[in-house]
Amino acid sequence: MDEEPLAHYEFPILGRAYFLGGRASTSVKRCLTEAGVDEETIQRVSVACYEAEMNVVLHARSGYVAVSVYEDRIVVAVVDQGPGIEDIELAMKPGWSSASEEARSLGFGAGMGLPNIREQADEMRIESTVGQGVQLVITFRRPGRPSQRGERRDG
Amino acid sequence: MDERTQRTIREVAEELGLTVMAGKEGLGQVVTGAQVSDLLSYVMAQGRAGDLWVTIQTHPNIIAVAALARLAGIVVAAGFDPGEETLDRADEENTPVLVGEESAFRIAGRLYELGVR
Repeated sequence: MDEEPLAHYEFPILGRAYFLGGRASTSVKRCLTEAGVDEETIQRVSVACYEAEMNVVLHARSGYVAVSVYEDRIVVAVVDQGPGIEDIELAMKPGWSSASEEARSLGFGAGMGLPNIREQADEMRIESTVGQGVQLVITFRRPGRPSQRGERRDG
Repeated sequence: MDERTQRTIREVAEELGLTVMAGKEGLGQVVTGAQVSDLLSYVMAQGRAGDLWVTIQTHPNIIAVAALARLAGIVVAAGFDPGEETLDRADEENTPVLVGEESAFRIAGRLYELGVR
C-alpha cells in the first residue's frame, strides 16, 4: 500500500509515568479535531488510543503512537519497547491483566484495555516479540467515505 | 426527557453542596447521565458524552479519561483530595472537578434523586 496519508502525527509515550498517561492520546484527539475528523470517529480513536497508551505506560519502557489520517480511515500504530506479550490470546481476555498492584490501586489494570480497543476498532492487529515489545495497529473506518484502498488517487 | 433533569454542572454542584476545585470554564455543561467507578477502563468503555463521573480516584489520569470520553465533569467523593497536578490538568482541559465529603454511594443517590439517570 503506497497511499500517502492526508496527515500524520507522532507522539512519544513514557513507560511507568502513570500520571502523564493520556497526554499522547489527548494530543491525538486535538490533532484529529483540527484535521476535521468527525466526532464519533474521534471518540472511538480516543478511547482506543488511551487504552493502548496506558498499556505502554503500565508495561513497557517507552513507546510512541503514530496516527495516519486517510480519506476513508484512520490508522493508529502504538509501538513499544518492553517485555512484550507472551500469550496474546490470554491478554485479549476481558479481566486478564499482568499489571502491578500499584497500578491496580490507581484504577488501572482492570484487564479491559485490549478488549476496549477491539470494541472500538474496525480492525486490530497485534504482534509481539517477548523481550522486545509490542506493535499494535488499529484501523478505524470513517463513516460515509468510500474505501480508497487499492485505488489510485488523482494527484 | 423531563426538562428538570437538564442541569448544568454548576447547578448540580450547588444542589449537592459540592465544591468546585477546577475546570470552571466547563461548568456550563449539561449533565446528561452519570457513572460511578474507580476503574478507568470501565469509564472509558461505558462513559458517554455529558456523563458526570463519581470516583475516589484523584490522580491526573482521571482528567485524561474525562476529556477523552467527553464526560461533563468529575466528582471526587468521600473527601478524597485531588492534588494540584490533577487540578492544573483539569483547568487545561476545562474539565470541572467537584469534591464532596459524602461517599460515592450517597452522591450517586442524590444525583439520581435530582433526576440524573
